[in-house]
Amino acid sequence: MNKTTVISAAIFTAVCATGAQADELNVICSAEQEWCELMVAAFEAENPDTEVLMVRKSSGETLAQIRAEAGNPKIDVWWGGTGDPHLIAAEEGLTQESGASTDELLGWARNMSDISNGRTVGIYAGALGIGYNSEILEERNIEPPACWIDLTDARFAGEIQVANPNSSGTAYTELATFVQLFGEDEAFRLLAEIGENVNSYTRSGSAPSKAAARGETGVSIGFMHDMVKLASTGFPLEIVAPCEGTGYEVGGLSIIEGARNLEGAQAWVEFALRADIQSRAPEADSFQVPSNSNAEVAPESPDLASIKLIDYDFATYGSSDTRARLLTRWDAEVGDPNPEQ
Amino acid sequence: MNTNNTGTVRFDGVVKKYGTVTALKNLDLTINAGQLVTLLGPSGCGKTTTLRLIAGLEMATSGKIHIGGEDVTHLTATYRKVSMVFQSYALFPHMTVRENVAYGLTVKSMPKTEAAQKAEHGLELVGLKGFGDRLPSELSGGQQQRVAVARAIVLEPEVLLLDEPLSNLDAKLRRHVREEIRQIQQRLGLTAVYVTHDQEEAMAVSDRIVVMKNAEIAQEGAPHDLYERPNSSFIADFIGDANLALCEVTSVAEQLAQVRLGDTAYAVPSGDFTSGEANLVLRPHEIRLTPPSTPGLRGSISYAAYLGKEIQYTVETDHGSLFVVSPIANDPFQQGDDVSVQLDQTRMRLVATDAG
Amino acid sequence: MKRTIVIWLIALFIGFAVLPWHMTNDGFLSSEWLVGATPTTALWLIVQDGQWWLIGPLLAGLYISCIQLSVKNPVRRAKLSVLGAAIGLVLTMIQGLIIVRSGPRILNSLFEGTAAIDGQLGFGLGAGLCLISLLFILTNALTQTGKAQGDAFVISMIGLIIALVAVFVFYPVLHILIRAFQVEDGYSFYGFFPRFFSSSIWGLQCLTGGRSCGTAINSLFLATMTGAGTTLLGLSFALILTRTQFRAKKLLRVLTIIPIITPPFVIGLALILLFGRNGTITAFVADFFDISRTRWLYGFWGVYFAQLLSFTPIAFLVLIGVVQGVSPSMEEASQTLGADRWETFRQVSLPLMRPGLANAFLLGFIESLADFGNPLVLGGNYGVLSTDIYFAIVGSVADPANAAVLSIALLTLTLSAFLLQRKWVGKKSYATITGKADSGQNASLSPGVKALCYLTALPWAALTVVVYSMIVFGSFVKLWGYNHSFTFEHYLRAFRIDFSNGWRFTGVAWDSFFTTLTISSIAAPLTALIGLSTAYLLVRQKFVGKEAFEFSTMLSFAIPGTVIGVSYIMAFNFPPIELTGTSIILIIVFVFRNMPVGVRGGIAAMSQLDSSLDEASTTLGANSFTTVRRVIMPLMGPAILAALTYSFVRAITSVSAVIFLVSARHNMATSFIVGRVENGEFGIAIAYSAVLIVTMLIAILLLQLLIGTRRLRRTDRVQQPS
Repeated sequence: MNKTTVISAAIFTAVCATGAQADELNVICSAEQEWCELMVAAFEAENPDTEVLMVRKSSGETLAQIRAEAGNPKIDVWWGGTGDPHLIAAEEGLTQESGASTDELLGWARNMSDISNGRTVGIYAGALGIGYNSEILEERNIEPPACWIDLTDARFAGEIQVANPNSSGTAYTELATFVQLFGEDEAFRLLAEIGENVNSYTRSGSAPSKAAARGETGVSIGFMHDMVKLASTGFPLEIVAPCEGTGYEVGGLSIIEGARNLEGAQAWVEFALRADIQSRAPEADSFQVPSNSNAEVAPESPDLASIKLIDYDFATYGSSDTRARLLTRWDAEVGDPNPEQ
Repeated sequence: MNTNNTGTVRFDGVVKKYGTVTALKNLDLTINAGQLVTLLGPSGCGKTTTLRLIAGLEMATSGKIHIGGEDVTHLTATYRKVSMVFQSYALFPHMTVRENVAYGLTVKSMPKTEAAQKAEHGLELVGLKGFGDRLPSELSGGQQQRVAVARAIVLEPEVLLLDEPLSNLDAKLRRHVREEIRQIQQRLGLTAVYVTHDQEEAMAVSDRIVVMKNAEIAQEGAPHDLYERPNSSFIADFIGDANLALCEVTSVAEQLAQVRLGDTAYAVPSGDFTSGEANLVLRPHEIRLTPPSTPGLRGSISYAAYLGKEIQYTVETDHGSLFVVSPIANDPFQQGDDVSVQLDQTRMRLVATDAG
Repeated sequence: MKRTIVIWLIALFIGFAVLPWHMTNDGFLSSEWLVGATPTTALWLIVQDGQWWLIGPLLAGLYISCIQLSVKNPVRRAKLSVLGAAIGLVLTMIQGLIIVRSGPRILNSLFEGTAAIDGQLGFGLGAGLCLISLLFILTNALTQTGKAQGDAFVISMIGLIIALVAVFVFYPVLHILIRAFQVEDGYSFYGFFPRFFSSSIWGLQCLTGGRSCGTAINSLFLATMTGAGTTLLGLSFALILTRTQFRAKKLLRVLTIIPIITPPFVIGLALILLFGRNGTITAFVADFFDISRTRWLYGFWGVYFAQLLSFTPIAFLVLIGVVQGVSPSMEEASQTLGADRWETFRQVSLPLMRPGLANAFLLGFIESLADFGNPLVLGGNYGVLSTDIYFAIVGSVADPANAAVLSIALLTLTLSAFLLQRKWVGKKSYATITGKADSGQNASLSPGVKALCYLTALPWAALTVVVYSMIVFGSFVKLWGYNHSFTFEHYLRAFRIDFSNGWRFTGVAWDSFFTTLTISSIAAPLTALIGLSTAYLLVRQKFVGKEAFEFSTMLSFAIPGTVIGVSYIMAFNFPPIELTGTSIILIIVFVFRNMPVGVRGGIAAMSQLDSSLDEASTTLGANSFTTVRRVIMPLMGPAILAALTYSFVRAITSVSAVIFLVSARHNMATSFIVGRVENGEFGIAIAYSAVLIVTMLIAILLLQLLIGTRRLRRTDRVQQPS
């Protein structure tokens, strides 16, 4: 071996060293930013050889991205975000089995795994609820709602805001919940009646609760953990678990098909399902209910035990056929009956 | 400043079309080195197109163009040794006068100081020494015009092109500047091509004039030739004013044609005419008016204008109205007077009766 | 001229034999190949690995060299070289598109062996250099065939821009538009029409009352109103700044710029806090006049209001240069012909501003069509195309086919506006800077016009002040709208710097902040360069297919960012051009999305420059490049400034296209802010926005100092009103 080769080999290693020595793990996080960051820091602390490259995108955006990237994905793991897009990704073969053990998980989380053949697994749950701005309702002498059925009352005329299920997963969960609670025909009758009181069907699922927090609307329908968070920052937002019972979403966790760092991705899944890790969510002001039965639940979290949760049928209502049928019917019977000009 | 690198310009069968419109029909033209040649003609005759073809701002549709013996047909303006003075001057408004003049030198990567020196020299040549630091907007129209000339000549081009350079100046300044341009051109021995629609300007500055009409050359020659020997009614009328009187050629003998105008017969240099109708060219200042008692063509004054150095009359005759310029006399005719019109047959010319 | 071809031939061979052909896993510009153990040049791959399909550029290079050396007739030589270069380009691209890692293949039998079956990585440095060399050989040779007007510089520029637009606009956009024709299995042309002409898109029900109109009709109405409104406001500002003795011109100037440097959602949020049902101003008015509070802000008027605030600055930036450029002597001429100031303005100044007005309107129109932030926040039930497209892609029922159909509807609107604009501007000359120096004074405005300008512009300016004071205020309070106790907390969380161990940027926003600034600073000059070059070509050069060329440069701007974002992933996630996850893709998306503004502004400014200035320069021996550099550029100061400012700012504030293209390494400020807003963390989002606004303001002021104003007349004077 001559001198030049030695020197070039030395430079070569040097150049490489500046490049990628640590394993890279590409994560898309669809939960709250702070929670995402907390997870990354915790994972890197345990796995110093792995550099986690995390970016936060909403679940709809993520699904669109992994669809477009299919065949040559740049992402390894998709953590968080509502379960439906995860299930769709599983159905379309965009994600792969993680092989993680689901023994410690609660029933609804194992259910996710079963429906998707292990391609996605539940990590948290959040129940659907009603939020109202106490100042506004007080000012207008409106009795706060306690049940879904209350929302049909004329006293809420023009005060209710809810998202459009065509664009928002949250609103679709609400639609499916109504159908499961009241039966399809009755559900659409109720939704249409509530529609008389709705001032606007927003396109984003989290918008109604934010509007209620600021008093732009009196009442909103959305996920309770979002409302808890808004209330904890100081808005006069009160949260109601409807008396008839309510549906919920399950946050998903999937490994992308064709992930470049499969080992790292599997390590992330196991890590994310651990009880001690899930217990840390409240540190990041996230109040969803963890899926690991041994994880601690934050006192602020909506107590799922005290809420009447329906037995949400993710398999049926997550399928594209049911979805298309319900949405067509929603457009026809609820839709925008008389939108503002 | 001394230039020896002047070049001839030669057009061989050049055609220029814009889409379906023909701007030049098969032009053959040679412009000799060191001469100032004017392209003269009414607007739309193709004179500006010819100039832009020489500049390289337009490309010939077919045919060849040579400058200084070199085939430049496919060369763009940048690569031709030609500079141009624009009708609008096209001075760069963001540069000082000196920067404007030095521009062409600096783009040919001449050192800054040398370029500035040459520019100063150029300004001196056009009488604008000391104006270098001003902006074009701070100069009068005549001064801007001279800057444009200086900017063009400092490059010592093979051919200097001038596109109606005086049209934006007032009449008095126009004469002054055209003399300056002519002097500079002669002093430097430049080949220059000058476009104008003003025949007086053309006569004043040119070695040769090329009169154009309907996208082709109507006649070319020295100013004197064109004036004395027009080959068509159009040229006769366009170069110097002319009265055209329809006449009949009766016979030709020894280069003299016998023509009749009314009752009078004249013997006129025949040219190519043998018989038939022709136009008789009568220059306004070669017609004399005498009292009606004297023999000659009958006429009456319909309009008289006193201009100080001369008097202009419009005279109605049986052969149409004639424009007459007379020297100042002690007892000028008045409007309404009857007169006798005297024509000098030695100064008459015959031209074909083209419709003009 | 022949020398240029030789230089590019050498570059071609370097690209082929010295530089790595493919992109390495470390990225496009990795230096590993210098010392790497396995050479990766195309030459080596062919010799060592039998990858014969890479031979295209070599063959073309050798062929062209032979032609250049052997053929005597220059025209024939040039024609043959054009042919060679074209074949080389096509061969290289075809092999790149055929030999891919996954997906359908054609000509399978031809390409055998593991290397072909495994597919190849994306084009790298070597391939890039080869392609560019071939392109420039082609354009240079084309110049010499005598067929093309213009010199090598111009032709090369046209070639380069066409190539760039084809690769970075058409190629990705086709990926998504083709979805509009997709049916169950395969593609159908007939399936498209019923979907395209559905009443949910084009319905006119709102005219007869009852239900709302189709989304395209809504979009069209909104865009027309916004285009007209922003043009009017922009003109008012431009007139006040150039034709009046208004005292606070500097302040006004800053106010007109601020809205474009505002990150998305911030204006909407501020408007809600002011005019929403629970907003400050609404509360005040309701109490004062004793009327009930309404939700008028949510719907058409709210969106219109927000778009006027957001897009007026763009109209202003286009118009200010044009208004300044109107030659005083033409106005003086009109006045000497007996026209009063109003007549002069109406008959002379205004018509001369026509290209500017038309371009400003077109920009406002297109911006409004593509805007999705404001309709999302304030739209209520007023559905527009851009939001529908967004949710067709990311919504709970993802339907890319529908997104494509809606995008085509949107493009139809854009194309119509574009054609109408062209018709209106017509072929008249609007040159007012002629090279015949002008020392006159601009006419001052007639009292009526002046009053109108003040009446439209000043309330708007006041509103801007209020909105932005609110934003600053909001960043310093605990909870904007509810808890107004003073705090630094948001700034500390976002931008904390730890001094204990030297400088450490520990705030959560620093990463995205630095990335954003870097990427924007790279993208802005590139955008301005390409945009203004295109404008130069369009205004000054004649070439075949100019109108199509012009429209194609508008395409990426007219398509909503979401669609662009997704189509970029579809096109550039796979070889031969694999860019996802890099910062290059972000730069490219900014350059090609924002270049139309440079083009529009450039066209408006350049139609004012008399072409005799260019011609004078060329007859003085300058080539096109020198002419552009020394004559056109200095006279285009305002247009350059506008293009630079706008592209810099847009790169910082754009969100929709970026959402899909950001990666962990290259995260952008806006995607950070939007994420926080989604989480309801308004404080930190607003604080970050405020910091961005200040940063951009500083950058703009620096740019203005750097470029300055052009010197047309010694002073820009305005007549004292008599």
